[in-house]
Amino acid sequence: MVNQPVSRREFLGTTAAAGAGLMLATGAKVFGQPATANGRINVALVGFGAQGRVLLESLLKIDGIRLVAICDIWEYARTYGERYLKKLGVEVRAYENYEALLAGEKDLQAVIVACPDFWHAPVTNACLKAGLHVYCEKMMSNTIEDARSMVQTMRETGRLLQIGHQRRSNPRYVFALNRLIREAKLCGRLTAAQAQWNRAVTEDFGWPKKSAMPPAQLAQYGYTDMHQFRNWRWFKNLGGGPLSDLGAHQIDIFNWWFGTTPRAVLASGGIDYYQNHEWYDNAMVIYEYPLPDGVARAFYQVQTTTSAGGGYFEYFMGDEGSIRMSENPALSAIYCEARAPSWDDLVQKNYLRAKTGGPTPTPEATKVDVRETAQLAEYEMSVSFNKALHQPHLENFFNAIRGSAKLNCPADEAFASEYVIHKANAAIAAQKTIFITTQETQA
Amino acid sequence: MSEPEIHIFNHHAMATQFQVRIARAEKTYAAQTAQAAFALADELEAQLSRFRANSEISQIARLLPGEKLRLCEPVLACLTIARRMEFATRGAFSATAAALKNQPAKPSWVLVPAEFSIRCDSGRLEFDLGAIGKGFALDRMAELLREWECRSFLLVAGGSSILAGEAPAGTAGWDCGLGDDSSARRHWLANVSLSGSGLAVKGAHIFDPRTGQSARRQNRVWALASTAAESDALSTAAMVLDEIEITGVTGKNPDWLVLLNEDKEWRQLGGRAVPPTAG
Repeated sequence: MVNQPVSRREFLGTTAAAGAGLMLATGAKVFGQPATANGRINVALVGFGAQGRVLLESLLKIDGIRLVAICDIWEYARTYGERYLKKLGVEVRAYENYEALLAGEKDLQAVIVACPDFWHAPVTNACLKAGLHVYCEKMMSNTIEDARSMVQTMRETGRLLQIGHQRRSNPRYVFALNRLIREAKLCGRLTAAQAQWNRAVTEDFGWPKKSAMPPAQLAQYGYTDMHQFRNWRWFKNLGGGPLSDLGAHQIDIFNWWFGTTPRAVLASGGIDYYQNHEWYDNAMVIYEYPLPDGVARAFYQVQTTTSAGGGYFEYFMGDEGSIRMSENPALSAIYCEARAPSWDDLVQKNYLRAKTGGPTPTPEATKVDVRETAQLAEYEMSVSFNKALHQPHLENFFNAIRGSAKLNCPADEAFASEYVIHKANAAIAAQKTIFITTQETQA
Repeated sequence: MSEPEIHIFNHHAMATQFQVRIARAEKTYAAQTAQAAFALADELEAQLSRFRANSEISQIARLLPGEKLRLCEPVLACLTIARRMEFATRGAFSATAAALKNQPAKPSWVLVPAEFSIRCDSGRLEFDLGAIGKGFALDRMAELLREWECRSFLLVAGGSSILAGEAPAGTAGWDCGLGDDSSARRHWLANVSLSGSGLAVKGAHIFDPRTGQSARRQNRVWALASTAAESDALSTAAMVLDEIEITGVTGKNPDWLVLLNEDKEWRQLGGRAVPPTAG
């Protein structure tokens, strides 16, 4: 347990040193060595779809970053992007594909890759080989082989390759892991985890009729038709299905927080609902993690044909306490078991806040005071951050380019999560337990 | 004459139910268009909601006096409209009215268009865009529907704001009642927005930003405008304005009309023509 109270300054310092980035900051700041003569980092965004737009909003808030180009094979998305950026005073050059982007841009330092998964490896490898640093959205690829090639190219070129598991730079997640689980051992012995991301039934994505791409162009980029292009996440040669799209974030948290990879995975899933899809719409997965104190099992579910009620979270359970984490603080919670040692010192250190009840003085064994029924104490983390959810991870990437930080999710570390996620899909297909060695998960 | 085929889709967003009705379109295409519109509403909620810890509205609330925050385009656009409506209604509408519950005075802020940012000048910028955000979302959804060439639509946010596109085939518009289900007063609406405000559902939740007191008006009000953000803000303002003040406000904009029902008598304030009677 912790002994010394920490001042606000020390509190911020320790978490920043642990990789938390800037805590409680109200403005975005980057620091360190400039990447170019004028101190700016010129960036291109490849893929102006939904995820590309999410990253864009964070990108535009980061000092010293200049978006100079966007790239998308769909003219509709490119035009939208140019128009949208112009409203925000950002003039960019727009390209149809990454080859044209690399040929046309001679003063780029970094590329953000947010196109469909099966294009991640070709785009990322080409950009790395062109001498650029790359931030690539998860999943790294829809195949293990392509994901491995990205790690190899990163090593060969010496460029940086950050994978978009943005929770790894989220100050709340970093704090919960480093301070609450590892330092304070708030959960005691971790014995289980559970995570979920369920979604309600939706229509497949459509497109404005007038904006359909011609069949030859679709074929050029690997799609059979517009439906496949707009719904690529559901097709096996293009994406990895819900376990990959949604589960990737949370299964990565299992690996990160348990500090290891699972030794086995069993799973069940199926195409239960959407007959025009190739990937499982519902999946339930159990991983076995060999921890120093014994096995911990982690259950993951992603259902896409249910109510979305309950939200998305990761829940780590131990014999003394549990932490339910979510990007949404309102869905986060911390529970203390009656057998746990007092958490009063954690409250005093500002690691936790008592939502109800609060710290109670430890009575002498022979005395007792009687009054109205006391509330059980409920706790919450005392950490928040004042930025868009993806911003700290992008800042970490740019700080690493400037030499002032270490990547929070380099491709070789992300590969281990990538591997076990692919194995969950494989376990569903095989309908049997698949065993995983640590060596397998290394690229 | 047969009823026109109208496809209806529902979605939860901004703590209420959104509905998209589309006419003159094939069903699957209408469904995909509606889904794209709902996805847009979700994106807007992620930035405009004060209940999302990392939304831009929540980030703004943590600014200290003198600090600025760069805004995304929708938030900048919504706050620009909010500020314009605050001036147009002479302060009867304010996106920071709810802050008076927690602060002695309304916080002060300015938009800095050249920097696409907002600056906090004093107080805590506790925006509550409930009275304009849903309308703003409807306006953006309507843009999307038109881009997808679905021009005959009706968009509904929580029953208190609607935005009508072109009329369904063979009709004079969308048949809209003022008040509870099957209201006797009905109008054909097309290419117009209608918002209602009142205390019957949520109780005394509307504050007069000029005084911090609860809304003076006990009966419902309705406002018509060309955009739902405007009709939303206007109906909220009308809850705290007297008739002379409402006449002054609507007199400055021929696009606006406010409808009051006082003592079972309807009053129409503003230069906009009353839509044709339906029902």
